[in-house]
Amino acid sequence: MERGYRIRSKPLYDPLIWEEHATDHVVIAYAEGGIGVLKLFQQMTPKEPIKVLFADDEHAQRSYHDIISKLVDEGLQILDDKEGVLSAVSATLDECVMGTQFYIAGNEDFIWAASQILKSAGVDDKNIMKEQCGSLARPVYCVHCKTIDPEVHHNVYTCPGCGRHLFVRDHFSRRLGAYMGLMVDAEEPGNIPDVEEIYP
Amino acid sequence: MNMAFKKETFRDDYTFTNSPEAIRRFPFPFDKDEYMYSVNIEQHTKGVPGSVFENVIDLDEHYVAECEDRRITLEQDPDRCIALPHMMDAQWDMLELGMESLAQDFPEHFQLTKDGDKWHWINKPLGIDHTFIFGDLSTLPMEPFEFIGRQLQGDWVVMDQRDDDLFADMGIVTSQADWSLAFDAGMSFKEWHGPVPQANEMGIFERALKYLLHLQYGSPVRRLNWTMTVNPRLDTSPENYPVWGPDNVSVTADNVADKVFLRVELQTLFRLPRSNAMAFGIRGYLISVRDIATYPRWAKRLHRVMTNLHPDLSEYKGLTNYRQLVIDWLAPMDDGADIGEGTHPE
Repeated sequence: MERGYRIRSKPLYDPLIWEEHATDHVVIAYAEGGIGVLKLFQQMTPKEPIKVLFADDEHAQRSYHDIISKLVDEGLQILDDKEGVLSAVSATLDECVMGTQFYIAGNEDFIWAASQILKSAGVDDKNIMKEQCGSLARPVYCVHCKTIDPEVHHNVYTCPGCGRHLFVRDHFSRRLGAYMGLMVDAEEPGNIPDVEEIYP
Repeated sequence: MNMAFKKETFRDDYTFTNSPEAIRRFPFPFDKDEYMYSVNIEQHTKGVPGSVFENVIDLDEHYVAECEDRRITLEQDPDRCIALPHMMDAQWDMLELGMESLAQDFPEHFQLTKDGDKWHWINKPLGIDHTFIFGDLSTLPMEPFEFIGRQLQGDWVVMDQRDDDLFADMGIVTSQADWSLAFDAGMSFKEWHGPVPQANEMGIFERALKYLLHLQYGSPVRRLNWTMTVNPRLDTSPENYPVWGPDNVSVTADNVADKVFLRVELQTLFRLPRSNAMAFGIRGYLISVRDIATYPRWAKRLHRVMTNLHPDLSEYKGLTNYRQLVIDWLAPMDDGADIGEGTHPE
């Protein structure tokens, strides 16, 4: 394809910035998403009620919960892991009012897992700010067997569901929260291009 | 219309063929020697008798065989029919559109009689005779969209209109040019068309969307789109790419005329009355390169369009492996004469 070609469904992310006209703020972050939280709290803190839901990745070397605990003086909930954060999101939704602004920070798998919970509760996408932090690993959906691999680091990977070698396209489904993986050697079985880590 | 429905297949032994009448009415899409995307939308008004534009929903000799191919695909992969939960009004709208237009345009094959909400539907070619209450799910053997979708040729996507956008929230898709309904369901108009090269850069989808948002009930529109397929296969889905992918590298100078098919989509768009959703019909017509050459004017035209095609479009449409073979086979039939504009065969 010529330069300038891009697939329009690929999501683009922005740094988190406090929304000024919100009734409430809910910050949802996991692992390296902690950096996104810290950057938010370097900005002026809003007057409205704030809730922060965060968990470190227990396998990661860096941890953010200590420093976040020092900076966030109200509404902070430190959870054990990713699932803990996502459950806390569901629990929080019951108390949310119209006009609540949501902020999500983490890798793409986390961003879309959290978004789906918000969306199924009827939250409008324009009220969800998203910042990609840390790893560029992609959640990828195998179009052949429908298995989603939450963290793919390479241009070509082996599907954990059907074992095919899949090429990762830029085409992204927000409903599935994943990019499309398509068999790379369908035309000439065994002809697999060099595998490179392009989503470190 | 006197129509004999063919017994033929679109997979395995590929017994699909076009009769001389089907070749003559083929919706050949190239009116000039060069092709590039455009917002080529026109009113879907009744066209010339015998043409694919004659009726609201076209019906041809492949009807029964195409419905059977759809049945097989749905049996293997039920996700080829998806309706998000908020689309129930649109499901009934679609059932009404399908039944009313078939019954009105082809009364010898389809009959619809209404007694208030009690509808009696007869589909003779498929042997269906069913009485149901319009609006009452329990009176149909499956959801209304799938029920009618299995009785229509071509793929159907129904788009929900909200926030000045159209969302692909429902569809029955078993004869697609390499796109996945299960993956694309729920997408906005621009996300859904995200991968198409050049057209996005030219602002085509932005203008098409603006136009479609104002589409009125009772004033449907249409356009043609095209690609090429190796073998007369309807299910060229990404899901089954492992099945048909190897065909793409099976074309040779000897078999190109019978193995490569031009695949034209008659795309129609209808505003639906209850849901305000938009039905998008994508009806595919297949013709072999050899059958195109029945008409020398079409052979010349296709030769030139293939030769001049933008490389990005060739790659996106998956023609790169065999485009040159098509050009070489057609070349002896093109004397270079000016054939003017227009898609007519002679």
